[in-house]
Amino acid sequence: MASICFRGIRTHPSFLYPSALFTRRNGVFFCTMQSPQTETKTTIENPKTHIKASPSTQTKANEKILHDYEAIIGIETHVQLSTLTKAFCSCPYIYGAQPNSTVCPICMGLPGALPVFNSKVIEYAVKLGLALNCKLSMNSKFDRKQYFYPDLPKGYQISQFDIPIATGGFIDLDLPLEFGGGHRKFGITRVHMEEDAGKLLHSGTGTYSQEIPFAFTCLLKSFRPYVQVDLNRAGVPLLEIVSEPDMRTGIEAAEYAAEIQRLVRYLGLSNGNMQEGSLRCDVNVSIRPIGQLEFGTKVEIKNMNSFSAMHRAIDFEISRQALLHSQGQGDQIVQETRLWEEGAQKTATMRKKEGLADYRYFPEPDLPEVVLTEDYVDSIRASLPELPEMKRRRYEKMGLSMQDVLFLANDINVCNFFEEAVDKGADVKMAANWIMGDIAAYLKNEKLSISEIKLTPQELTELISSIKGGIISGKIGKEILFELIAKGGTVKALIEEKDLITDPTEIERMIEKVLSENPKQVEQYRGGKTKLQGFFAGQVMKASKGKANPVLLNTILLEKLNTKS
Amino acid sequence: MYSSAVIWVKGGAPYLLLQHQQKQLFSTLSRKKTPLWFSPPSTTPRNFSARSSLQPLDVSRLAETARISLTPTEVEEFAPKIRQVIDWFGQLQAVDLQSIEPALRADTEGDNLRHDLPETFENREAMLAAVPSYEEPYIKVPKVLNKD
Repeated sequence: MASICFRGIRTHPSFLYPSALFTRRNGVFFCTMQSPQTETKTTIENPKTHIKASPSTQTKANEKILHDYEAIIGIETHVQLSTLTKAFCSCPYIYGAQPNSTVCPICMGLPGALPVFNSKVIEYAVKLGLALNCKLSMNSKFDRKQYFYPDLPKGYQISQFDIPIATGGFIDLDLPLEFGGGHRKFGITRVHMEEDAGKLLHSGTGTYSQEIPFAFTCLLKSFRPYVQVDLNRAGVPLLEIVSEPDMRTGIEAAEYAAEIQRLVRYLGLSNGNMQEGSLRCDVNVSIRPIGQLEFGTKVEIKNMNSFSAMHRAIDFEISRQALLHSQGQGDQIVQETRLWEEGAQKTATMRKKEGLADYRYFPEPDLPEVVLTEDYVDSIRASLPELPEMKRRRYEKMGLSMQDVLFLANDINVCNFFEEAVDKGADVKMAANWIMGDIAAYLKNEKLSISEIKLTPQELTELISSIKGGIISGKIGKEILFELIAKGGTVKALIEEKDLITDPTEIERMIEKVLSENPKQVEQYRGGKTKLQGFFAGQVMKASKGKANPVLLNTILLEKLNTKS
Repeated sequence: MYSSAVIWVKGGAPYLLLQHQQKQLFSTLSRKKTPLWFSPPSTTPRNFSARSSLQPLDVSRLAETARISLTPTEVEEFAPKIRQVIDWFGQLQAVDLQSIEPALRADTEGDNLRHDLPETFENREAMLAAVPSYEEPYIKVPKVLNKD
């Protein structure tokens, strides 16, 4: 099955999970709710478990071997654009829509139908080209890439061959601190526009004729194997980003892909969702002994649908190739496409390449040249938002630690929330701490995005200043935060509801009680162990169930401790 | 047997693309005709191809790339016809183009772009009714193996 699913330069991750398509049929249009933080978290967590999972002796041997080799990694990324319509026809594209419901003669490749290009695709391509620091081709064109396969009924894909819209750029990123940190700059070879293909569902996956008894279905299928075609995705615009072979490790490659995801989300041109196939990465990996100039045989890896899977797949592939080299079996590394098997945590041969595929490219005669004007490019350049790299550098200058910077800048919605709170006067570090701590934990638990909760940046600011100003304790602050997240409302109203203790005599009474219950500590305090003030404050706060006004509490407590003799 | 035949030349290397009846997908639909297209010789700065002379004709290979099967008699029958076309391209290649600025494409009037406004195609039912094998909601095609 797999050998048919994956072909050419495109991936169809959904093929391997056809059931997912069925369950998601009634899904939502813009599925951006999934918090990207979750993905970063997995990137952070999984490699550790991976290393532990593999036999330690083998790992040690591999590490030794790996020292002698250098991996060369290049990535082709397909970004599905979130335009309302397809690239060459006005059909809408809605992820999860009823199969073959958004089709027309153009995307079905019917005779006589002529493509008309969507201007939004040019806009997005120029945006991405500029964001990737590329040189734009003021005149580019489309080409036909011939191949015969039922996912593309025309018999060719409209793509860009020798004159892509953007070339020769780079991307900056910061590696997570868990992986040693550091800044990287990777080259971008080109960005070009093309159309997506339809989806194929291969029979034998058990989702088709559910009403027919199982045994009979099997019998039928063994005689008449067939493929189900859904052409909704045929003709949906893609931008293909080809990197220079600049990456050297799995984590660098995974972070490159994560940065591309951030970039397209910041630019608002794709939801960048890997599970839905809106962001697909094909990775080329080769290794060579350190010091050797020529490249080794390159192997392509597909079927990774998360950044952590990319990281693990590439590291596995590097070890596999290094091991073969070290055993004098370097000739067994052949040019092929390998699939990442998530269950087995390994790559396996999918298809060996017999020479270069002959796509017989030629210029698309049905479409005019794509012409950009300086004015157009300038207006798009002026409309570009602050990009992830700029954002990280600015956050750094605000005094945030690299860990905070990377966390906040990972998600544009989080950035917007954070910046709004800071604009309203929230303390930078405290705002970052609240967002990264309790708020992030809540979002992760509830699988929500920060823009979906009832807490507003304004109220977070209010909450922070209430704690800072000693009106409420941290404990009450936390309680109020969770109420704000779940039910909304204002900090002021919630504080009133809490009927906090602001009566000095009541607080005084509590303090006296605590002091009389702890005569030993009082003696120690008066003997010079002034650090014990915190202990008393804690005891009183506990007695008040966190409701005592912290400023009053501390003032009265100090008074009592220092004056009474 | 064939609905149309298209020939194209890339930097001088000829390929025949016989668009055969797409049995795999829509056997009842004929293909649209594609205009003849000819690229300038490889003296242009662009990377069209490194090859500059015409390749010898191999009808069997051409048939394979177009996913059609030809009998030996058919191969013999087609060879001279295709060779004629190639020879014609050979003549075109002999034209001196040194002084001519290569064109990306033929001149077209305006951009002919479209706004990103969705429109539902109204006659979808008729279109799907023409699909030879359709089982709601999927188009059914025989299992095909990737040959590339």
